Amino acid sequence: MVAVLNSLSVPSQAEFHEAISTRSDRWFSACLKITRNQDLAQDAVQDALLSAWNKRHQFDHTARLDTWIHRIAINAALQLLRRNRPGIFEALEFDIEDHSETPHDSLADTELENSLSQALQHLSEFERVCFVLKHLEQWRLKEIADELNTNTGAVKQAIFRAVRKLRARMTSLQGEAS
Amino acid sequence: MNDDTLTLYYYNDGLSDRERRDVEAALHSDLVLAARYAELKRQLEQWTRPDKEVAPPHMVERWHDSIDKAASREHVRRETPRHSFSFMSFAWGAAVTAALVIGIGIGVYFSGDDSITTLPGNTVAATDTPRNGVIPAAFTRGLQVHLRDTQRDISSLPVETAEDRTMLVLQIIQQNRIFERAAEHNDAQSLARVLRAFEPILLRLAADDIAPEDAEALREQLAFELKVMLTKLERDTSNSTHST
Repeated sequence: MVAVLNSLSVPSQAEFHEAISTRSDRWFSACLKITRNQDLAQDAVQDALLSAWNKRHQFDHTARLDTWIHRIAINAALQLLRRNRPGIFEALEFDIEDHSETPHDSLADTELENSLSQALQHLSEFERVCFVLKHLEQWRLKEIADELNTNTGAVKQAIFRAVRKLRARMTSLQGEAS
Repeated sequence: MNDDTLTLYYYNDGLSDRERRDVEAALHSDLVLAARYAELKRQLEQWTRPDKEVAPPHMVERWHDSIDKAASREHVRRETPRHSFSFMSFAWGAAVTAALVIGIGIGVYFSGDDSITTLPGNTVAATDTPRNGVIPAAFTRGLQVHLRDTQRDISSLPVETAEDRTMLVLQIIQQNRIFERAAEHNDAQSLARVLRAFEPILLRLAADDIAPEDAEALREQLAFELKVMLTKLERDTSNSTHST
């Protein structure tokens, strides 16, 4: 029994490889939606894997290993984004669109080809990150607010604006397509 | 009732129990509102389709590789108990391995391949059209600045406080990766390998569970390797300038 519990307690090297083989596309994709930058998304996954490996003794099996790494990767992506563009999540509690071009935008454009990803580019950084964390990553509003050092009211407003803009954008894209 | 409230209802987050009950009652009694909610729900659900983005295969390989390396480093650490002799501690093992890897890398990079030279001056050709094996002078200068900055940061690195050290080292790693990629873009694969060899040591230095004495040992080793690399880089640049 003890042996079974021990074997359950710490994920093995093979389990990490299995997770990378089956789920790394999802980790990368999620990080890419957060950062809009392929290099940062790759680094986030790399950092997350090493961090998860170093902390694997803390893995408590309440979630699957790949889900646990996914969450660490999202945090790593947010950290890298914050480090690369300080102040990115500050003072964005009003209705603006982010028209600023980053050096990696053209690369990101080729990566984010589907219509949602196109529409996401018309949100501010704050709106995009809040929406991605809520809608795609299914974080609670409180978790998002804590992670971004803001309050739930600001997160709610950002999500409302994001949903409004996305609906308008998607309707327009669908109109053009038909 | 506006769409913002319906959005929170859809996410099942941000509404009190009473507010949720109010929304449910309104949806049952108001057909127009129910139709609006159905449309909102349809659109929101449409945005959760699987993604198209696929991780580049070379990155997936690198992620596999990083787990193997981390496991192998731990294996070395387990087999060399810290109390036996400080020189055989993991940190020293990592430092010595790193010294060998970087040292060999620097040696190969600077002496083994004559085709790799630095273009002097600010010529457009040098910066805009890097040819295979020829490193633009602007890149070399940028790399020198990066290495000097790293040398300075490493020398003043707080070894006692893990949090400060981690933040600073992660920033160095980020910069190092940028130059590693730039080296790859300039077809300077040997140089990219040398820069890549710094990363495992830096990651070890960034770990929050490293003992202060081990952090100090790694820091000294890194400072030494950076000094060697800078000296050789400067000498190489100087030679290229004089020979032209």
